[in-house]
Amino acid sequence: MLLSGADRNRRLLTAAAGIVLAAVMGLVLIAGFRLATQIRANVATLQQASELEAYPSAISEQLTALRQRLDTLEYTGHVHGELDSSVRGFNRDFSALERQKGLDPAAMHAATALWTNYTPVLAKVLSYHGEPYSDTATNSSLSRSGRVFYAHVRRAELFAQANAAALHRELAVVSGSLQARTAAAASRLRWLLSGGVLAVLLLGLAAAYLQVARGRGERAARDAQDQTRDILATVREGFFLLDADYRIGAVWSQALTNMFGRSTFAGLTFEELLRDKVPPETLNTAMKFIKLLWGERAHENLMKSINPLGQLEVNMDNGRGGKETRYLQFDFHRVMGPKGVKHVLCAVGDITSSVLLARELHEAQENAHSQLDMMVGMLHSDPLQLGSFLDSASAGLKHINAILKEPARTHAEFSKKLAGLSRELHTMKGEAAALNLMSIAQRVHHLEDMLAELKARNELTGNDFLPLVLKLDELLAHLRGVREMTLKLSSLREQPSAADGTLNTPAPRLPTAGPDELASTLQSLAHRLAQDHGKDFKLALNGLAQCPPAYLGTLKDCLIQMLRNAAVHGIEADEVRRAGAKSGGGQVRVDFRRVESGFELTFEDDGAGLSPETLKEAAVRKKLLSEEQAAQLDNRAALALIFKPGFSTRNEISMDAGRGAGMDVVAKAVYSLGGRIGVSTNPGRYTRFKIALPALGETAVA
Amino acid sequence: MLREEELKTFVDGTTRYFEVAAQQPASIGSPYMLEGEPAMHDYTGMINVSGKREGVVYFTAPRAMLTVLLMKMQESDFSHESMRDLVGEVANTISGNARRDFGHDFVISVPSVFSGEKPQVSQPAGARAFVIPIHWRSHSAKLVVSLT
Repeated sequence: MLLSGADRNRRLLTAAAGIVLAAVMGLVLIAGFRLATQIRANVATLQQASELEAYPSAISEQLTALRQRLDTLEYTGHVHGELDSSVRGFNRDFSALERQKGLDPAAMHAATALWTNYTPVLAKVLSYHGEPYSDTATNSSLSRSGRVFYAHVRRAELFAQANAAALHRELAVVSGSLQARTAAAASRLRWLLSGGVLAVLLLGLAAAYLQVARGRGERAARDAQDQTRDILATVREGFFLLDADYRIGAVWSQALTNMFGRSTFAGLTFEELLRDKVPPETLNTAMKFIKLLWGERAHENLMKSINPLGQLEVNMDNGRGGKETRYLQFDFHRVMGPKGVKHVLCAVGDITSSVLLARELHEAQENAHSQLDMMVGMLHSDPLQLGSFLDSASAGLKHINAILKEPARTHAEFSKKLAGLSRELHTMKGEAAALNLMSIAQRVHHLEDMLAELKARNELTGNDFLPLVLKLDELLAHLRGVREMTLKLSSLREQPSAADGTLNTPAPRLPTAGPDELASTLQSLAHRLAQDHGKDFKLALNGLAQCPPAYLGTLKDCLIQMLRNAAVHGIEADEVRRAGAKSGGGQVRVDFRRVESGFELTFEDDGAGLSPETLKEAAVRKKLLSEEQAAQLDNRAALALIFKPGFSTRNEISMDAGRGAGMDVVAKAVYSLGGRIGVSTNPGRYTRFKIALPALGETAVA
Repeated sequence: MLREEELKTFVDGTTRYFEVAAQQPASIGSPYMLEGEPAMHDYTGMINVSGKREGVVYFTAPRAMLTVLLMKMQESDFSHESMRDLVGEVANTISGNARRDFGHDFVISVPSVFSGEKPQVSQPAGARAFVIPIHWRSHSAKLVVSLT
């Protein structure tokens, strides 16, 4: 339940009023009890004082009666007894009165003094126990002791006549003061009771007011709760609070239910919320970030910038027994309390549609850029070279599809497919790069990445080829687009054109490139390679015109690969060349000539050359050879390693080298024409390849 | 363009049928792009897809494979009708898998079955057809997915 500050104050006031009410009632009761006790004691004392007031006149009368009986010689015994009883009664009650507090002190003092003087006089009367009369035969008279007794009585009577009234008065004063005190106490009690009743009434009114106010506050709180509930049920974002144990609080927004496919969240930890929905490493990163949020010194804006959950890919049950991928955006805000971070408020948004839209937009932009790049590349390319490339790319893809179509059930059979696919793709990439068709080269490069990843697997199945075939389809579609654009460009240049270019129907053939176009392609490639790899070299081409058209395609593939190798591995960086006392720029020479047995191609660069030891180390590193096998290789066999599939001295892969498919492709192409290839080198000075091709119509054993 | 997970859904639907019905999982060969006319075996179960994607998905198998499959399912009726029912069931399982994974994005037709006669494959224009060989025991069938 949510309580506002005003509600809390009202509750505190109600509690305080209750406590004050109880305290006042307690005080009233205690004071009333004490006053009532005092009044009761006063009344008893007053009664004693009133009774005392009667004693002085009674004693006086009894003394008179005693004297008269002595005068008439009557029996005095019972009067004497009554007097004794009266004096005893006065003594008892007066002593009791003296013990009372708060009596009028002056009157009490006077009464005490009078009684103190009175007591010895009376004591002489009361102490007489003899026979007051002496009898003779004729008459009776006072006896000797009777006369003494008579004198005492007479004296006491006189004392009484002189002081009884004063004693009575003093006692009346005492009674009066007592009465006044009792009346005052009774009055105080009345005021107290009236005050108590008034206080109770006031407090009752205050309590009633607070109760009404509280009821109003509770209604407002209930309304606020209802509104909060409505907001939480309606808002599209998921909201919840995390405590210091990373547990979700009792209140959350309904949107979470749809986002996470569960109905309860209270007490769930953040880790439990995301487990099974994101990969373990993502979960681990997310938890580390959440922990950071609780740090006192963590800066919220800075934390926001490193939030790893800004766009989280989660796999959710789709409610039909399957899974679907959704994208959630987590935003965190720290709720501060007096002792630091109290909670972390998490706001979760489902951004799936915007992510997919952004992705589509990005792809569309990429496509547009790629089309533009392609257009620019094509405008700078010779249409004949372009046509030649598209024809060979189509043929390459047909071959790739044929490789895929071959039946395969075992790892070895699938693995063999990969080797064939690598060769085809590498050739295609080289040609595309040579024509500066980078969008094609990059697509092929991506396919090569996929192949490399598959090659590293210990077990291959047909499932592993599913993404590959889809990417090939993409490449095919892209090539189709390029072909269509090429045809449009051709038509603009008033050349015959045709539409379509799918795998199913034969592509319209564009004019095939000749030696001049090949030379231009190679120069263009050399220029790009020099720029991309920061090398300075010149390419000299001789005799390409002598190449028969039947060999031109293979010659192109081989020269492209060798030129890339020379640029990446052969020609050194400027500073290395200067340190090695070489002339400024590097030189790459290509010589094609007719020889007696057919044709000979020499490809030479004045770069770093090949080091047999480096080649052997690379072969061991690539696990193509064991260390023992490598140690047994002579220099010639070590140089032959460069023609092995998968061999490369580079650890990193780039667009132009590192896959180990270059010289393998060259060798395979040469062998397919019945030719031979050889390599010679002088480390630090040069690398020279010689390719011998048979005269047309002949074949040679490789 | 067809996405990998979509293709996987159709493949899983097919291999799952063998795993559940015959307690022997099927494996797939390397997929490739169809060139020319679609290659059909003796019996074909086909579903038409519309909505987010348009096209056809069909499973086509030789009689020998279906016979062994029926035997593994403890069936004794190897008639023409049983074979038709069987490819229909496989197509139905593929359809169920697609409904589970794609929901309302895909509108999938009731499977139609062909045997002997040439099926009417209404392959949408511009859609590539992918052939996925389905290997089960010593037999092979094909799953063909052609969607825009």
